[in-house]
Amino acid sequence: MDEMADNSDPVVREALVPPSVELSDTELVTRARAGDEEAFEELFNRHRRRVALISSRFFRQPEQIEEVVQESFTKAYFALSDFSNQQEASFAAWIARIAYNACYDELRRSKRRPESALGEVSEDEAAWLKTSLTTGESDMEAAAIARDLAGKLLARLSAEDRLVLVMLDVEGMSVAEIAKLLGWSASKVKVRAHRARASLRRVLNRFL
Amino acid sequence: MTGKKIERGLNERLDSMGREIVRASAANEMEADRVTASPFLYTRLRSRINTEREGRKERENWLALVGVIWRAVPAMALVMIFAFVFFLSVSLSTRPAANFSDEALLDARDAEVEQMVFADNQSLSSDDVLGTILNEDEREASR
Repeated sequence: MDEMADNSDPVVREALVPPSVELSDTELVTRARAGDEEAFEELFNRHRRRVALISSRFFRQPEQIEEVVQESFTKAYFALSDFSNQQEASFAAWIARIAYNACYDELRRSKRRPESALGEVSEDEAAWLKTSLTTGESDMEAAAIARDLAGKLLARLSAEDRLVLVMLDVEGMSVAEIAKLLGWSASKVKVRAHRARASLRRVLNRFL
Repeated sequence: MTGKKIERGLNERLDSMGREIVRASAANEMEADRVTASPFLYTRLRSRINTEREGRKERENWLALVGVIWRAVPAMALVMIFAFVFFLSVSLSTRPAANFSDEALLDARDAEVEQMVFADNQSLSSDDVLGTILNEDEREASR
């Protein structure tokens, strides 16, 4: 009798559905809020690659990528009660926002750590960069040294500059999307993007 | 005019190169896949969540203690103020009894107490004594 009464509660009824059945993210969030650890694990499995990809846009080391993944999901776990499907487009968008903010925090932390500096650009890299800049050939993907060099050059930018540039140039986001994601105003994003491009130009100009 | 055009051209080239650099730096999908393929990733996450939960509990306990202190300190101050006011009012109302010392209570009489007692005994003036003697003489004479 009591069981029947308990089952009338939609949260309890939802929690009684076996996890093997394909549930939506919102339903999994409801179950995870009710203390269902398997539901949270399912959410983690569904979205961990997206979070790791976001993290990999900013960090090269696997440890740093994992740190952001763990930080993002830990924050999400304790903020599940704040998740509202009306405000957020989806759980994916919500966790992405948390991941970008975790990346931003990690970028700022790593800026403060002197041991995380990637070092100076070598002579070979400088010569290669100069050739690329003067000839205008942009075969960065093909060059073996391109990624290391890119990491070293971008390490000279501030965390905010780097965040905005990656969101604009890699993720292809609009100013409005970035503003919504980071909780900044649109004008702040524009100003930051302008400054970030100017900073990167100054960095590159030294190799001309 | 030509200088500006050259500068603009250079800036465009630098911007274009900058975009390529940002994209090259962000092309790191293999590392991301390697991290997500780790079999113990969720186990480590659970462990981190548990650690964070314990940390939060500890912080909550501290906050509760701070809350108690936050309420207790003004309450204790209020009690002390009341006690001080009560002490003042009591001490002011019992001021006339200040001459009554513990020594007098315990019968430890000193010179002053003796003197006060004598003073009470000798309260009759010499005129009174003389008047009494004269009255006695007159009474005897009338007999």
